[in-house]
Amino acid sequence: MKKIILAATAASTLAIAANAAEINICVEGAYPPFSSTEASGDVVGFDIDIANALATEMGMDATMVKTDWDGIIPALLEGKCDAIIASMSITDERKQVIDFSAKYYNSPAGFIGAEGMMVDALDGKVVGVQRGTIHQDFLEGEFPNVELRLYGSQDEVYLDLQAGRIDAAMGDSIAMDDGFLSTDAGAGYAFFGEMYSVPKYHGEGAGVGVRQEDTELRDAFSAAILAVRASGEYAMINDKYFEIDIYGGE
Amino acid sequence: MQNLIEYAPLLVRGAFTTIMLALASLALATVLGGLGAAGKIRGGLLVRSLVLGYTTIVRGVPDLVLILLIYFGGQRLINIAGKAIGVDYLELSKFWAGVAAIGFIYGAYLTETFRGAYMTVPSGQREAAMSIGMRPLQVLRAVTLPQLTRFALPGYANVWQVLIKSTAVVSVIGLEDLVGLANDAGKSVREPFLFFSAVFFTYLFFTWVSQTIFNAAERRYALKELGDAV
Repeated sequence: MKKIILAATAASTLAIAANAAEINICVEGAYPPFSSTEASGDVVGFDIDIANALATEMGMDATMVKTDWDGIIPALLEGKCDAIIASMSITDERKQVIDFSAKYYNSPAGFIGAEGMMVDALDGKVVGVQRGTIHQDFLEGEFPNVELRLYGSQDEVYLDLQAGRIDAAMGDSIAMDDGFLSTDAGAGYAFFGEMYSVPKYHGEGAGVGVRQEDTELRDAFSAAILAVRASGEYAMINDKYFEIDIYGGE
Repeated sequence: MQNLIEYAPLLVRGAFTTIMLALASLALATVLGGLGAAGKIRGGLLVRSLVLGYTTIVRGVPDLVLILLIYFGGQRLINIAGKAIGVDYLELSKFWAGVAAIGFIYGAYLTETFRGAYMTVPSGQREAAMSIGMRPLQVLRAVTLPQLTRFALPGYANVWQVLIKSTAVVSVIGLEDLVGLANDAGKSVREPFLFFSAVFFTYLFFTWVSQTIFNAAERRYALKELGDAV
């Protein structure tokens, strides 16, 4: 009996020692440039670099567990991994089953237009925006003097911008950069003005998902995010993938 | 196209996982199907009720539900059991969870396939064999099984064709099979259509090869002298 107790104690001590140094992080692998699968099968991207940076900051050794998006929350809950870093937006619905750290990015919204366009010149101009989005709400709330033209999809916005029917467009900065500005069609167009990230309109952003009982881990992630922001490591990773700072408002 | 060539080794790895998963699942399904059929034919009331429950429930539940239930639910059971005996964490393998789920499902279908094939062997033949002093196992091996195989083969081939395609659902638990990897790769290089076309032709190739093998097997077990309608 004594032997068994001793063995059990030894085992649990070992387990705690191992837990202190290792963390399994669920990542997705099908959401470029945040997370994509390479020809070698490795997962790379902004999420993965951030995951490694945060783990290092916390003094842990991270192992990436590639998990399908549909099974990613169950994988966390059943202990297949200890955290989710997969561009998962912080929502009230998800908060009912898991918990989130502070955001690690909140792709801000921005204006695009022909190079040389200015925010000051927007009054009375026509701005295209996808209908029913947070961006429409934002423009109606914050830019009452522009004339809005609503579209069914973001692609139609780009087409009309190129056709000259609208003077500017507003949308998710990463989506517009990826889907338009960095394509051939986007030549001669650029972001102008500042990037907007207002929680009232734009939500809380993407956070690190953890199990609800792991409050210490959650707080450690939140602290690590601020630490890599301050150390400049965040900016280094950010610049590897994006031209703008995707952290959004402080 | 360049991307497809670059990712080809990854897809081949995925295809290998798919094949291994399908074969292991088929082996498990065959064992379960054999036991199930024997239980339905020879079992007492309790055994027959158990097999009936198995085939009824499993054939009535979607693959996807069962696979999630076994992988995540199984992990939860292991976690609870582990906590009770003081083991920290035991990982349930994705591959074997997939084999267990698919084998379990198709075992139910094969139970019916085997039972149906058994019923087509006239009981008079078994009685005749017994009457000349053959033991039950000898009867099974020399009289029943060869004929049963012939009747079971078309149904068995059919179940295999469905089984190999249903392995695609395991990608939901993150097992890196052909479909899962093609999905990730296709989205990563933003050419999903190209990668799914490759999957399409790979599966078609698998089923074509299987069909060829089963056709040969059916010819092998056919009653040639009667010139039946194969």
